[in-house]
Amino acid sequence: MVENGVKGWISVNEGAREMLERVLGERPVMMLPPPLHRVPVRAGNVIEISGTSPSAKTLLLIQAAVNCVLPTEWEGVHYGGLGQLVLYIDLDCHFDVARLQQVLRYRIFKARGGRVVDWEQNNAKGGNVELPLIVCDDELLSLCMRRFFYVRCYQTSEFLATLKTLHCRVQREVEAHGARIQLLLIDNIGAFHWVDRATTISVLEVQNRKSFSLQGVWEALVHDLRKLLSVHPMLIVASKASVFGNTTNEAERPFQGRFSMDIADQRSRMKESHKHKFREYMPAIWQAFVTHRVILQNSDESVAASNGQHKQPIHLLEWLLPALNTVDKFVVGDAGAVLVP
Amino acid sequence: MPPLKSLGPGFPVIDSDFQSFCASLGILSVEDFLLHDLDALAAQADLRPSPERLKQGLALVFTIIESMHQPWRNGMEILEDVQKNKRILSTGCEGVDSLLKGGLHEGHVTELTGPSSSGKTQFCLMASAEVAYKHKGLVTYIDTGNSFSAKRIAHSIGQVDKKVLQTVMNRIICYSVYDIFTLLAVLHELEFRLKSQICERDGIARLLVIDSISSLITPILGSNGPQGRGLMTSTGWLLKKVADEYGTAVLVSNHTVSGNHGTTKPALGESWKVIPHTRLLLTQVGGSNCSISIIKHPSLENATSFSLLNHSQFCITYKV
Repeated sequence: MVENGVKGWISVNEGAREMLERVLGERPVMMLPPPLHRVPVRAGNVIEISGTSPSAKTLLLIQAAVNCVLPTEWEGVHYGGLGQLVLYIDLDCHFDVARLQQVLRYRIFKARGGRVVDWEQNNAKGGNVELPLIVCDDELLSLCMRRFFYVRCYQTSEFLATLKTLHCRVQREVEAHGARIQLLLIDNIGAFHWVDRATTISVLEVQNRKSFSLQGVWEALVHDLRKLLSVHPMLIVASKASVFGNTTNEAERPFQGRFSMDIADQRSRMKESHKHKFREYMPAIWQAFVTHRVILQNSDESVAASNGQHKQPIHLLEWLLPALNTVDKFVVGDAGAVLVP
Repeated sequence: MPPLKSLGPGFPVIDSDFQSFCASLGILSVEDFLLHDLDALAAQADLRPSPERLKQGLALVFTIIESMHQPWRNGMEILEDVQKNKRILSTGCEGVDSLLKGGLHEGHVTELTGPSSSGKTQFCLMASAEVAYKHKGLVTYIDTGNSFSAKRIAHSIGQVDKKVLQTVMNRIICYSVYDIFTLLAVLHELEFRLKSQICERDGIARLLVIDSISSLITPILGSNGPQGRGLMTSTGWLLKKVADEYGTAVLVSNHTVSGNHGTTKPALGESWKVIPHTRLLLTQVGGSNCSISIIKHPSLENATSFSLLNHSQFCITYKV
């Protein structure tokens, strides 16, 4: 028995090809919708999107969610989604379900051959674009909305309790829907930062009692997230709002903008504001957990909207980890974030 | 955090054995369980005599933890709830209503920022009058600077029957609050009252106005210490909870401070920016006109649309 055990322990479990097939099957590489399309990601990755408020962070999360809940194909039309479930933990408590529905409707509309211009013109006129869509797509819309699970937390203890009971919840939903949870979105991971920092460590009568200080709370949170990832591999995308004000001269940028704006200029300016505005405030244990980092900034340029009505401000997106040398630009419209070439 | 033994009478499985097991691991209350790994605790229980009873206790604690967070909902449930219960309340000022494509959203916190005497209090009073009269809703007005004026509200309502005016004015309750702790007490009391009153959706419009919240928060912000900002964050989240759980539209006003190079920016700093759902900025553009623009909104484009308003009357002259 023991001999078998030792022999079994040193014998080969699987070859390299089998292992690769298994891993790629369980954790397939996926591409997030633009503007996050530059880096391929897989389940088990943790992406952190930092930005000031407002800078379209929640919109990027919503777009990732829409991409995940849409089916790949439905009644002969190719939607290009993943057809999986999404969990959204809202710590900021400012999620607007109407915006999710709007972005989802636009994707469905576009997949069915609708044109962006028609959509925006109709919206601008105040006309009812929704009427024809309700007739054809209500079933698809409700199917997609049912794949989206949402919870909001008003304080750290609620967030901790949610993560503790998440495993059972996930198992229940996976069994009910027959689909996997592909995406876990956390909106504003730094929401309770100040409250946790202000929680003083009182003199505890019991030596080994864990406290609700910033360190203690984040150790428990990261531990629970790691456990969850090992049992249910999924992609975690968390947005993070900056909490420190901008001490560099924000108003100086228009002056520099009169001259040619090449990428080097932009990047050096972004790097300066990074130092001040995006000072890292999350505890080291969370920073070590994050595998990819993105920064969003508002630029002062704007571009005319496609319906010619008014100018839309441009947002800049840069990948810090892995460090890419490109800055993507996008604008926010009714239909979501659209890349600007 | 109440100690574990307070659960004792209701749940016989939380007996002294279980309590001493928990105390040996440094767990004295249910909240302490949140910082521990329940599976690791179950493994520790296996090393003790009578592990089954201990595991039953842990299972009970697990169900208690499940009730400690908000329930999970799917997208359709949220959508139906919003479509049925969360309305858009007009503010009585057509310029603002057209800018916000309707008005104030129930369930959202809307912030109005502007320099002093730009009309913030006037707007708050007008919105209160509109909700109390047109929407027949209840208004809680938290006044921090003695600027509440019943006369101006009556003036906004216009010429109506005396009895009607009395009913409308009875729908508006005003609190005078001068520090953040009183504000938190008032909000907690309001939350408690709403929780006990609302068994099912009663369809009554609700508005909560705080004029101005910045005068309560600025004194506590102080240096880089976390206490002031922690208090501000807790207040903000409490406002969001009252807004969303009880279908209340929350309107707060904020003042402006000077930014770099002579620009003005809203007060209360970076951490405040995440709290309101919608942020509006009033800027004076000469004479008695001011322009109102959106700084942040969940679904509308910001910073490029604005309305022009006549200060004294908050009249209709607007352009986009």
